[in-house]
Amino acid sequence: MSEELRIGVYVCHCGTNIAGVVNVKDVVEYAKTLPNVVVAKEYVFMCSAPGQQIIKEDIKNFKLNRVVVAACSPSLHEPTFRTATAEGGLNPYLFEMANIREHCSWVHPDEKEVATTKAKLLVKMAVAKASLLEPLSEIKFKVNNTALIIGGGVSGLAAARDLAARGIKTYLIDRSPTLGGRAARLGKLTYTEMKGIDVFKGLIRDVAGNRLIDVYTNTELVSVDGSVGNFKVKLVKNPRYVDAKCNLCGECAKVCPVEVPDEFEFGMSKRKAIYLPFKDAYPRIYVIDMKSCTRCLECVKVCPVGAINLNEKPSELTINVGGIIVAAGYDPYEPKTGEYGYKLSNKVITLFQLERLLDSEGPTKGELIVNGVKPKNIVFVMCVGSLSTTPDAYPYCSRMCCSSTIKNALVLREKYPDTNIYIAYKDVRTYGRGDEQLYMKAGENFVRFAKFKDAPKINIDQKGNLSVTLFEETLQEEITIPTDLVVLVVGMTPPRDIDKVRTTIKIGCGPEGFLREAHLKLRPVETATDGVYLAGAVTGPKNIIESIASGSAAASRTLALLSKEEVAVEPLIAVVNEDICSGCAICVAMCPYGAISLKIIDKNIRVAKVDSALCKGCGTCAAACPSGAMQQYGFKDAQIKAQVIAAMGEV
Amino acid sequence: MQKPKIALYWCAGCGGCEEAVVDLAEKILDVINLVDIVFWPVALDYKVEDVEKLPDGSITASFINGGIRMGEHEHVVKLLRKKSKLVIAYGACSAWGGVPGLANLYDKEEIMKCVYQETPTVDNPSKTMPQVKTEKEVTLELPNFLPRILPLDLVVDVDYYVPGCPPTPDVTWKSIETLLSGNLPPKGSTLGALTKSVCYECALNETKPEKVLIKDFMRPHKVAIDPSKCLLTQNLMCMGPVTRGGCGSLCLKVAMPCTGCFGPLDEVKDYGGKAASYFASILDYMDEKEIEKVLSKFPDFMGVFYRYTLPASRLRGKIKMKGGD
Repeated sequence: MSEELRIGVYVCHCGTNIAGVVNVKDVVEYAKTLPNVVVAKEYVFMCSAPGQQIIKEDIKNFKLNRVVVAACSPSLHEPTFRTATAEGGLNPYLFEMANIREHCSWVHPDEKEVATTKAKLLVKMAVAKASLLEPLSEIKFKVNNTALIIGGGVSGLAAARDLAARGIKTYLIDRSPTLGGRAARLGKLTYTEMKGIDVFKGLIRDVAGNRLIDVYTNTELVSVDGSVGNFKVKLVKNPRYVDAKCNLCGECAKVCPVEVPDEFEFGMSKRKAIYLPFKDAYPRIYVIDMKSCTRCLECVKVCPVGAINLNEKPSELTINVGGIIVAAGYDPYEPKTGEYGYKLSNKVITLFQLERLLDSEGPTKGELIVNGVKPKNIVFVMCVGSLSTTPDAYPYCSRMCCSSTIKNALVLREKYPDTNIYIAYKDVRTYGRGDEQLYMKAGENFVRFAKFKDAPKINIDQKGNLSVTLFEETLQEEITIPTDLVVLVVGMTPPRDIDKVRTTIKIGCGPEGFLREAHLKLRPVETATDGVYLAGAVTGPKNIIESIASGSAAASRTLALLSKEEVAVEPLIAVVNEDICSGCAICVAMCPYGAISLKIIDKNIRVAKVDSALCKGCGTCAAACPSGAMQQYGFKDAQIKAQVIAAMGEV
Repeated sequence: MQKPKIALYWCAGCGGCEEAVVDLAEKILDVINLVDIVFWPVALDYKVEDVEKLPDGSITASFINGGIRMGEHEHVVKLLRKKSKLVIAYGACSAWGGVPGLANLYDKEEIMKCVYQETPTVDNPSKTMPQVKTEKEVTLELPNFLPRILPLDLVVDVDYYVPGCPPTPDVTWKSIETLLSGNLPPKGSTLGALTKSVCYECALNETKPEKVLIKDFMRPHKVAIDPSKCLLTQNLMCMGPVTRGGCGSLCLKVAMPCTGCFGPLDEVKDYGGKAASYFASILDYMDEKEIEKVLSKFPDFMGVFYRYTLPASRLRGKIKMKGGD
């Protein structure tokens, strides 16, 4: 490198976040002594407009050709400072960041001197690396302006509706035979006369028959290749065995000899092996559940339109899209057998089952009949599977269940005025609009609340009679409530096999398994993988309102990408030095993205080639490359070694 | 016109590098036509005193083989550095310590005890140990034994490297040609070899499958090796991908896995680290127990990964921690 190195170092206070622990002045003075540093300054918030202005002005005034900022995590503000560096007239990749907040002040709050020494060392390492940085230019690709939405629940439907409204071609897939997800089965929603099914119908109106939306039900994700703006997605469409000729006459179901529990009714009624998932299912076509079908062919014989084909095979299809929205929803918490008496008595049901029983289209046509009788005493047990009430329970609050419980209690109170209704709760969190009023109204209408700390016990005597025992926190004594029905208010959990989707698309997850946003506050519907967005309860418990809103939010972020002609990708990818590469092929097997192939440059001389559209810059190939021919821009061996030597000294 | 002056010297090595010079066969006559050899203890009767008398910088190039083990080696190479325009680390031992460099896994006392007392063929009942100075009727002096073996470039400034254990005649001849051409490559370059790895020259490279992953580790004497298939695919730990080419893939031609005597390529500083990283990458297991099972088949990690390069590595050798660290 012939040009003289001129490095500027900027140490951020981050208010008191850094300066409260690290002696910033000391770090600045130390930075001034480092090789090639021509200016070192401190500022209270480097990320603020005036902070960025300092960088821009100094680049001009001091003729800087490298910029180092010691502040927070690069994952937060590296883009900010890269932009400032570029606006100051330098290549944005001549910027390097030292994280002295997460790595110093936050982890060593009680050891100010240690934190300061460490901050100096991190600055020294960043300066050493900065000296070896090279200018890079972003890689640009054309954007394929179509979208894929995985999951046809309310959030996926809302996203599809919004994308189509802006003219974006959208593929909407769901692995079940119908759209609608969980919400279509819910009962009356709080403070409206709408039921879950009405919300579904409201959304499907804009989706059904929309020429911009291709709906694939019974369809699962196989693989995703490519990257932001250009994903190549393989899907497998499982057979429905009934085609669009179906006229819903229902003759097939009448003759079908197989009866199985109906999942739409949470197993409380039966359906046939050939069935319509629910009255307003979309697409409105019968489907055969091949797991239970006996292939007796009775349905084929009676179908007046010849819509049934039992020999239909799964088919694979490949689609190219620019962005992907994952709206895979949630599963209700499934209590273990015996947990709160679940499955030990048919008088113990979940809130979801109760909502089906109270639905005029449900298995009892809206009448609360359990075990053939109308229950007189009903106890709701809240926080089942939530707030760590039992060893198997999740630690989080599922948010929607308090309001939902109270709403159902009020529905029961109105319909059956002479029932006794109890709600056993650990905490009541009615945060939605109007929900607190419902809570008050329930109290005024003699819905009795009992507060517990430790999970209530459900007692079942030899005659099958139920009672609930708990230590009531207000009375400070143990009480036992005899009851005819226990309603377990189960929370929301990540969809059971979300990991398959998660690892296929490569999205992070939290400790409970919900998918992780890129930033909880700043980028709540984006993921760490560019071009992949999240909607609905797949990121954590949400009610219908929130799910639809997040579907719209995800659509809006997707549009921001798909409305562009080109997308720029960080050039921090792998690069082959063809003078060194011997074509030994070790890297090819290493690449998790299939980005490396061998190309023949002359007769039988082979070298590795990196497809910059596919490379995600994970660095696996660079670590495996036996010859050092494979390097990664921004993390070259020489750059990392300079940092190591800065930290540890020469051996 | 005066012919360029050349010196050759043998430090801690097996003598194979000396043999390699003789292996030039009739070409050695061409060499002698082109240069004057002023110092070559193994073949010519010049003494250290003769070198001392030469003006500084008067030797065009000194070829030094073997690592620096004894005080004498240190003394002579420093003298040759002073008298030479160019110093060439010739062969693996001089460049990185070589096989004798594995002695850095032991300290001086352990080595002395092993060699002079514990080896079964040693008959030393009085437990006599070599001393730097012995005063009896006469005073005898021996060169001192350094605490650890060092590659040449940690003792004196080195201009060029010639790789190999030993360098092949072809590599040796190409190096001499380069030096005499007057068109010198940048300081620190490796002479006579390739910038690409052994795979580049290896005929078996074409037989590699698209994805190279291995499930097991076999030692060469325990399998019938198929000479027509890449040895990695036969679960043999071939160092070809990590090792500088230029040898003509000699070992592979006779179906023996490369052991890495040409050392690392230009971008790699720690050969063994890179070799271990490469092996770990292609070992196709995610389960720790399976990985341990394969690793337990390695009789000698250091001997496999650092066979020629331990003293030049980041590790340098085994370090005894002081004060209970």
